[in-house]
Amino acid sequence: MRRIPRGLAVAVGASLLLAACSSGTTTPAESSTDSATDSASPSESATDAAPVRGNEDLVIWTDDTHLAAMQAVADTYAKANNITVGVQAVTDTRAAFITANQAGNGPDVLVGAHDWIGQLVQNGAIDPLQLSPDQVKAYSPTAVRAVTYDSQLYGLPYGVESLALFCNKSVVGDTKFATLDDAIAAGQKALDAGTVESALNVPVGENGDAYHMEPLFTSAGGYLFGKDADGNYNPDDLGLDSAGGLAAAAKIGSLGEKGSNVLRRSISGDNNISLFAEGKAACMISGPWALNDVRAGLGDDGYTLQPIPGFAGMGPAQPFMGAQAFYVASNGKNKAFAQDFIANGVNTVDSMTTLYKMANLPPAMTAVRDSIAQDNPDFAVIAAAAESADPMPAIPAMAEVWQPLGVAYADIVSGADPTKSMQDAANAIRTAIAGS
Amino acid sequence: MSATTQTTSDTLSTAGGPPLRRDPNDTQPHGARWWREIGWRHIVGVVAIVYALIPILYVVSASFNPIGSVSATNLIPTQFSLTHYESLFNDPNRPYARWYLNTIIVAVVVVSAQVFFSALAAYAFSRFRFRGRRGGLLTLLLVQMFPQFLAVVALFQLFSSVGEVFPAFGLDTLAGYILLLLGGSLGQVWLIKGFFDSVPKELDEAAKIDGAGHAQVYFQIILPLVRPILAVTGLIAFVSVIGEFLLASIFLRETAVKTLAVGMYTVLDGDRSNNLGWFAAAAVLASIPVVLLFQYLQKYIVGGITAGAVKG
Amino acid sequence: MSHTTQSDPPRAVRGGAGTTRVLPLLARVLGIGIIAALAVMVTPALVAQERWGFLAVFWGVVALLLAVYATKRAVPAKYLLPGVLFLSLLVVYPILMTFQLSTTNYGDGTRTSKEVTVNKIIASAAFQEANARRFTLAVGTEGTVDAGPYTFFLVDQATGDAFAGTEDGLTDLPADATVTDGAVTEVPGYTMLTKQQINTLSNTGGPLEGFTIPTGDNTVIVAQGFQAIELTSPLVYDQANDTFTDTRTGTVYTPQRSGDRSYFTDSEGNRLSSQSWGESVGFDNYKRIFTDPRISKNFLGIFAWTVVFAVGSVALTFLLGLVLAVVLNESRMRGQKVYRSILLLPYAIPGFISLMVWSSFYNTDFGLINNLLGTHVNWLGSTALARSAVLLTNLWMGFPYMFLVATGALQAVPSELKEAASIDGASGFTHFRKITFPLVLVSVAPLLVASFAFNFNNFNAIQLLTEGGPFSASDPTAGGTDILISYTYRLAFGTSAQQIGFASAISVILFILTGVLAAIQFRGTRVLEDVN
Repeated sequence: MRRIPRGLAVAVGASLLLAACSSGTTTPAESSTDSATDSASPSESATDAAPVRGNEDLVIWTDDTHLAAMQAVADTYAKANNITVGVQAVTDTRAAFITANQAGNGPDVLVGAHDWIGQLVQNGAIDPLQLSPDQVKAYSPTAVRAVTYDSQLYGLPYGVESLALFCNKSVVGDTKFATLDDAIAAGQKALDAGTVESALNVPVGENGDAYHMEPLFTSAGGYLFGKDADGNYNPDDLGLDSAGGLAAAAKIGSLGEKGSNVLRRSISGDNNISLFAEGKAACMISGPWALNDVRAGLGDDGYTLQPIPGFAGMGPAQPFMGAQAFYVASNGKNKAFAQDFIANGVNTVDSMTTLYKMANLPPAMTAVRDSIAQDNPDFAVIAAAAESADPMPAIPAMAEVWQPLGVAYADIVSGADPTKSMQDAANAIRTAIAGS
Repeated sequence: MSATTQTTSDTLSTAGGPPLRRDPNDTQPHGARWWREIGWRHIVGVVAIVYALIPILYVVSASFNPIGSVSATNLIPTQFSLTHYESLFNDPNRPYARWYLNTIIVAVVVVSAQVFFSALAAYAFSRFRFRGRRGGLLTLLLVQMFPQFLAVVALFQLFSSVGEVFPAFGLDTLAGYILLLLGGSLGQVWLIKGFFDSVPKELDEAAKIDGAGHAQVYFQIILPLVRPILAVTGLIAFVSVIGEFLLASIFLRETAVKTLAVGMYTVLDGDRSNNLGWFAAAAVLASIPVVLLFQYLQKYIVGGITAGAVKG
Repeated sequence: MSHTTQSDPPRAVRGGAGTTRVLPLLARVLGIGIIAALAVMVTPALVAQERWGFLAVFWGVVALLLAVYATKRAVPAKYLLPGVLFLSLLVVYPILMTFQLSTTNYGDGTRTSKEVTVNKIIASAAFQEANARRFTLAVGTEGTVDAGPYTFFLVDQATGDAFAGTEDGLTDLPADATVTDGAVTEVPGYTMLTKQQINTLSNTGGPLEGFTIPTGDNTVIVAQGFQAIELTSPLVYDQANDTFTDTRTGTVYTPQRSGDRSYFTDSEGNRLSSQSWGESVGFDNYKRIFTDPRISKNFLGIFAWTVVFAVGSVALTFLLGLVLAVVLNESRMRGQKVYRSILLLPYAIPGFISLMVWSSFYNTDFGLINNLLGTHVNWLGSTALARSAVLLTNLWMGFPYMFLVATGALQAVPSELKEAASIDGASGFTHFRKITFPLVLVSVAPLLVASFAFNFNNFNAIQLLTEGGPFSASDPTAGGTDILISYTYRLAFGTSAQQIGFASAISVILFILTGVLAAIQFRGTRVLEDVN
């Protein structure tokens, strides 16, 4: 009897190993369908103690926000082809995918932003997608440009996103602002009156946010990377400390905490949307992902949405355009189904419509975009903003930009010397690019 | 069996406590003396409680606040709703109940194994004199200071090849994740060894003279005596297993096998500003087993550690 | 059964050495038997898969178990073996693997072998000419489904022309084949594969992987899903000379070194691809830690703060925990239990939850702390304040554990000592300082050292709270609250390219540093002497 603890341990180990041996022959229950909401009886939970890795015919990885949409299109495809699918929300999707794909443990299909492509290709983690020219034509040219890398199409885009200007109708009225200065002035008036706590929300945070600052930076004359003759980004032409870039830095500084205090480090990605949705900010720069919360907070008719206007007397504001896309994993266990799923399962008007509805993104397929222009003017605005924007650079050099540039913005907003901050960031980025 | 140990721990706790010769109520001082000897302690206690509770209050308040965003939350809930709690159990993409169950399975197996194996090893280090004992103890301590997380790439490669041979222990399996955490099986050796040291050796020796084998002495005499420290180390191990998410986020990617920590982190990671309510409700429920365990084990934690007094 | 032995252990034990040994022996035989049986069971499969490493481990474990449990020698080993086995396989072995990784250039762009990289470069350069043909694909075999040989049956999606294709080239479709809805559905003499079968056979290592039908000098037909596409491949790899030639332009690419890796590069320095391949680099990664100006410039400062952070966290949590333990260790106090229960609550909340919640508390305009205090302080904006914030948060998270430990240790102080001291007339505080505190310190010293080691590498506390910030634009890689592990994590896995070989080298260095520091402290606290 006193030996029981060790005996038990051995027995448990043995039963788990036996389960391993038998698992190959039994069909695993579809993980996606057995929700855990039902209270499992003790005996059930005992058998569930060692779930077996999904052996579905098609495994798709995405992040938590896009899970439901992916599940919907995957289920349709699975039904039509009589196969099983598994859709998984994975933390830090891109890095996890690269590691797992390399180890032969990854999914068959990856869903994610187009600016991942550079790193994915560098690691040989995704395969080019060979669509016919006609199939490619069904998508918006900017979206296609975004998922094209080294002259190869690597992903099938389903949604586009771009920053736009949201304003609270009950605070600044139902106006479309011609310049960003007008929007700020209207917001400032409300702020002075005590109606709101922020005139214009632009996420900055302690470490800066180069993505959200890009429209302001470009309008005031800055640019990130120049382009070569073919329209590809040139990592050797960094525009941060060009004359235009420094002027833009000064402009951002003048809006910062030591200037008009519109831009503040206390507003970050964590609270940007919720502050606006609760009516505490007059205007906000954000993207389509904010729409649900904004509608829930301010009502379907409580806000206005427009492409971000430029500063008065300055250039147009050019946010980054982003595309969400499907990729074929280079080391998947079900490549044929993966390729067929993307080329034939997702690449249809029906699937794209489902994705648009459930992922809540302006569609990349022009036919779907046209069909929804009437019902969803918000998406038309964002799609238009995306069309005129430049795709976020997917080149590996871009990875070296985010952190230093963000920090420079945070510094400038806090009141540091804009020229020096920007030059410091540019130097740090050049060093990093040269070293990689 | 339980009866024997019950009495053992009871004797120990009273033996270790301050000598209570009179009824405690009679010793209660009054007036200024009360303030000098007892009252100020309450003030310190209350201040400490405020410090301890404010962040927790905030989480509880956020879990009941229907808006569920960072900026909308105050310490005292202005609105009350159970939406977030309901949403824990009716979103098939976030099977909270399943994650809860997974966490409990992992925690129970890992904690039992860790306490059991640690106690075995601690006994050897405390009672036997053998070559390499001192070096072994120190190596153990040093090796365990290496965060498993630093070897994450190596671990990932190891387990993906384990998965090819034994699919039940590969990535995305609870069994594999449990095995991974069993690497810390000796994590509690130091604490338990200290406790063993305080149990008089005469006890084992007497039993051995009576003809008991070393295993018999260990399982029948020593182990029941040290149950309090097993409870304490079990609790410490439980807390660390429940909170582990760095490795879990790399090893458990399928929705159905996630633990609470990695499942909740994935949700918050997806959108930090708007899932706060869901997250807060999830956190409140996730803390309940630990709190209950604390309450249940308190008699061991406080009374139990006093067994060290046996030595003195 | 347990009741009978427990209720009267001495007599049962005295019952005779011969009989009492039977049960343990039985359990021992059974336990070893099961493990050995398991090893026998898995052996054929492991041999078939040529998994020699696993095989060796399995039988090594069996041999060890036999040696330890089947004999009467090595009694301590009987107690140590299970835990040590787990520790060796799951902690020590990964540490050794990490060391091995640290001598390679493994990371972004170098995860693949050179052979794989070459194939990837060729594959990702293949493109469709303007007039490229696309086919609906069916696969048939004259042999077995699993072994082939296979034939692609193709129907041109534009013209409807049908073909049969093998790795020798395209031929006409056999006349007796059936074409339904633009796809070949039946060919006499051939077994047609289902989609499932095509999918399985196309996997990495499967017979259909890389199945190509040559149609011209540079053109091939390859499968994509259940279609086939004619692709042109412009690159030719010359194995003997290790060069790539672009047949369109005649440009020749040769491997050229850049940092810790090589790229195929033309004479003007243009890279053919961003993909490189994995190589052993010896101790270059270690050299880089000590010579890279980006690292050496920041290393000392970060190291110092790491030590301050770890020592500070331990000291503060222990101090607060001890003070509270002393204050509440008064049996006449009412509600003692309630205080204790509540004070332990922060410990019960999973750490990452606490950290994420606390990080929102510090916001200048909307954070709880400024709201409660009525201040307007940017807590995370300056290095000094951010460091205090980190310590304050870590204090909140850690003091309950120390409170727990200190309460236990306090109660373990023999009461005779207290009484003796009060008879001598020592004041409360003197008594505490001279007698209680040293006793408590000795008993918790190992825990304090372990806690130091934990905080020295407390990645979560920094990453989830400040992400290492605040940063300055002049040095965006080293933040004000960065400790070594968060700093190196960013260097290795952060926003820029992953350098796992390099990160492994840093992990090894961190491991050594932690060990040395802990050993020094042990000497200091005389715990080493206690071990003997």
